[in-house]
Amino acid sequence: MPLPSSREMGSSASHAAAPPSPAPVAPPPTPPVGFAHLLPQNTKENGDGKGAPAKVDWLDLPCPVPYEELQREALMSLKPELFEGLRFDFMKMLNQRFALSHSVIMGSTEVPSQSSDVIKVPSAHYEFGANFLDPKLMLIGRVLTDGRMNARVRCDLTDNLALKIHAQLTNEPHFSQGMFQFDYKGKDYRSLFQLGNNAFYGANYIQSVSPNLSLGGEIFWIGHQRKSGIGFAARYNTDKMVATAQVATTGIVGLSYVQKISEKVSLASDFMYNQMSRDVTSTFGYDYILRQCRLRGKIDTNGVVSALLEERLNMGVTLLLSAEIDHAKKDNKFGFGLTVGE
Amino acid sequence: MASKVSLKVKGKAKAGKGPKSKEQSTCELVKEWTTWAMKKTKVITHYGFIPLVILIGMNSEPKPHLYQLLSPV
Repeated sequence: MPLPSSREMGSSASHAAAPPSPAPVAPPPTPPVGFAHLLPQNTKENGDGKGAPAKVDWLDLPCPVPYEELQREALMSLKPELFEGLRFDFMKMLNQRFALSHSVIMGSTEVPSQSSDVIKVPSAHYEFGANFLDPKLMLIGRVLTDGRMNARVRCDLTDNLALKIHAQLTNEPHFSQGMFQFDYKGKDYRSLFQLGNNAFYGANYIQSVSPNLSLGGEIFWIGHQRKSGIGFAARYNTDKMVATAQVATTGIVGLSYVQKISEKVSLASDFMYNQMSRDVTSTFGYDYILRQCRLRGKIDTNGVVSALLEERLNMGVTLLLSAEIDHAKKDNKFGFGLTVGE
Repeated sequence: MASKVSLKVKGKAKAGKGPKSKEQSTCELVKEWTTWAMKKTKVITHYGFIPLVILIGMNSEPKPHLYQLLSPV
């Protein structure tokens, strides 16, 4: 039986190697969809066109996510930036890389109090910021009207080594914080070393052990308070779900699970146990990413229900609505805002 | 007599401190310098970081104009 020529099939020459078999013994392969037609062997071996599970190359595992971003899918869904009051953000791009941002925030901020009452102090401030984003160098600076300054620098020293600096400076003495991080990305591992003020030293390491599973650990030491801790973490992810677990000697156990139901919907849940304060919290949330809006909501075992809506009204104008109802403390926070620019 | 004894004690104490003070002062000097340097760096970063970002941004390609820095359009 002559093989169909590539001219007849109208596709690449590799397709010619997969003949539809005339014999009744082997079932005819389904027509190739997507990338399947580029794989000559699979359509020959398996009649159902699905392809055998690819053989794992243990020396060529993918690079894992950074240790700090282990739970990033869960955090994106379950910890949106809820706010109270009015918020107006304006980002002006002067250049492809350089942008200035102006922000007005008017609302109440909570003051920590000893009693169970919630004390709120009305506050209003304006924040000015400048961003410079280059593939190799990123500089972000923000300054508030009360003198607080937030600076972030990220510099790629080589292809694999990056330096990150994060500083929060205030006018009050002894309240400023600074952190230096050296980040090394290997073939299938990542390691990080950080130095902070108050003699803080930390390091973490994460390694891919299979195409879906990565394990990591971290260790830190605070000099001024003579505290140290070790933690371990594991992350298992497939295309549809991400499950993570974290344990630390500071007495924290955290588990999270995110399931992607479709391109637009994902559901997440989170469990956190703090042994020092005997605090157990479980959160369930959803994340709808639709064409014009993004809606994230969650419900908590502390009796907190919250939601954040970001709706794109027009090109570059986004409306924000945030609500947080705390049934246990009878503390409700509602906020609305507008973001102009990217 | 008592005053003589007290003077002797003082003399001994001073002699004992002599060789030690040199070692301590180098460590203390290093600590003092690093603290002084960190304080100056903090003040410089606090006031100078955002002007530095703006300077680097205004000199990047394509060069934006000065009026674009101030106007809201």
